[in-house]
Amino acid sequence: MFGVYLIMFLIGFTMPGMWQVVALLAFYCALGQSWNIFMGMTGYVDFGYVTFIALGTYGMALGVQYFHQFEWLGIGIIFIGIFLALFLASLSALLEAAIALRLRGAYFAIACIGINEGLRYFIEGAKIWGGSEGIIFSGALLKTFGREMANQLTTFWADFAVFMVAVLAAFLNIHYMRSKIGYALTAVREDEDAAKVMGIDTTKYKTIAFLTSGLLGATVGAFAWGLKLRHVFPADVFVIYYTIECVVVVLLGGAGTLLGPVVGGLIYGLSKYWLAVIFPGFQLLIFAPIIIFIIVAFPGGIIGWVKQRIKGTPLQRYIE
Amino acid sequence: MIAQQLAGNLMHGLLLGGVYGLATTGLSLIFGVLRVVNVGHGAFIMVGAYVILTMFTALGVSLMAVAAIPVALIIGMALGFFFFYTVIRRIMNAPELASLLVTFSIGILLEETVKLIFGTEFRGYNWDVGKIRLPITTIPMTKAYAFIASIAIAILLYFWFSKTRVGTAVRAVVEDRDGAGVCGVNVVWICGLSFAIGIGLTVMSGVLLTWFIPVGINAYMGSAYTLKSFVIAVLGGLGSPYGAFFAGVIFGLIENGGYTLFAQIPGVAPFPLTVSLAFWMLFFLLLVKPTGLWGGKR
Repeated sequence: MFGVYLIMFLIGFTMPGMWQVVALLAFYCALGQSWNIFMGMTGYVDFGYVTFIALGTYGMALGVQYFHQFEWLGIGIIFIGIFLALFLASLSALLEAAIALRLRGAYFAIACIGINEGLRYFIEGAKIWGGSEGIIFSGALLKTFGREMANQLTTFWADFAVFMVAVLAAFLNIHYMRSKIGYALTAVREDEDAAKVMGIDTTKYKTIAFLTSGLLGATVGAFAWGLKLRHVFPADVFVIYYTIECVVVVLLGGAGTLLGPVVGGLIYGLSKYWLAVIFPGFQLLIFAPIIIFIIVAFPGGIIGWVKQRIKGTPLQRYIE
Repeated sequence: MIAQQLAGNLMHGLLLGGVYGLATTGLSLIFGVLRVVNVGHGAFIMVGAYVILTMFTALGVSLMAVAAIPVALIIGMALGFFFFYTVIRRIMNAPELASLLVTFSIGILLEETVKLIFGTEFRGYNWDVGKIRLPITTIPMTKAYAFIASIAIAILLYFWFSKTRVGTAVRAVVEDRDGAGVCGVNVVWICGLSFAIGIGLTVMSGVLLTWFIPVGINAYMGSAYTLKSFVIAVLGGLGSPYGAFFAGVIFGLIENGGYTLFAQIPGVAPFPLTVSLAFWMLFFLLLVKPTGLWGGKR
């Protein structure tokens, strides 16, 4: 899997014009993996996942906008932004975990949507953080770093950071799967009540996975939406549609598998890119039936299907 | 002054709430019978809005606005049967993830198809049949009709559930799917019928909602209603159509009352705050009483 990332990175680095495509793919791979850490292992569907991405974006925006007046901080404002992103996301993840994780199935999914919309309209309604006008911080970036450096930050380093998050998410995924946490969460997915009776502290492990997944999402948001686009509007970031994109990426590749989100991210990113080029404006109309077909025909995703096909052959070792 | 404004807005809220209630019964019926949350709910409301828009603007007769109701029901049920037998039947027993994603994709499919046919601009129509003047407020007749029609449909639904054989079978499936199957109920057919009726009700409520708000008809108008319907469905106890109807009325009252009160606070935007309030309410209700305000055990 790291080989895949290495190849992607080399393609983006050496072929001119490909960097944007690779950045898009890295974005989807990173999100898919982050979402998969919680959902793939526990079976809980976090439909409000975009909350974390949005809060991450806000963290970056707040860090840059409010701290750029302290000139001695320099590049430090980016780190403050990341810190704020992580802080906001962990705050909301812990709150959500403490309350919503008691619910199961469809109830959990709806509660997560409720939190997402509640937060969005609260920001708009109470007019905090700029209200519905959002925060535009491209000016602040220019003032602190100058044109040259700001350009590099937003075009190259932001994408590079997303790439690094994707790699980090892969590491965490492997680590969790092979450790006690992974086994505990798999037990939760199969039968939560039985897991509880066996003495597994399900709440603790669920919270750990939820927090990890949320923090990774916030980091992706801080870089891919915050630093790269240099603005944040509540109506643009708290959109359930982006959660669905994560879900599609994971389901395409195969939920709960290691390679799944990466394969799904590559396929989804590439097909979205090409559909937008070939049929501009119609990509959703074409995509919706494809999604329905894949779910009905291949419920295990591509990796799940491959896994079943090569069961018992020596290749099995290489696919997880 | 504020008291009068509040009373007037609450009156509007009551009327709108009835229509909200009808818009949610479909969602609750589908969840109750199939255990599937229809995330594409709003798209079907949008279809209803386009049904009346097309009939009304094409023919321009008042009668068409009324005739749109049965047409909407038929179109909705046809869509419901089509999606049930092609897709929903196969993922009914799959994990939530599959059904959530499939219904969402169906919603996108409808929205994009409508966008392709009608374009992206906001549309509206004007159906004026007089007003009722009350001491506190003035109510357009169309709003009163929408409320009356919602109640009539809800009562019909109630009798269909409680008095007919098919209605009893539906209730049996809600109670215990396997048990009903053992007793000779054709579970797949009942699920298909319930799905079709649920979608039919939803499309029909789209017609009634545009009697209320005849402007702003757009391919993407549905998502706001999807989220409102979730709040209402939870308020009434997920899977209970009557609960949903009464919860709709309560939601309409809270929405309009909250708006009037928030508008008194300077420096805030009252409309988003009201919506926000609704979602926090949803969140805490799910926590405290996930079976809804009226619900017993689930």
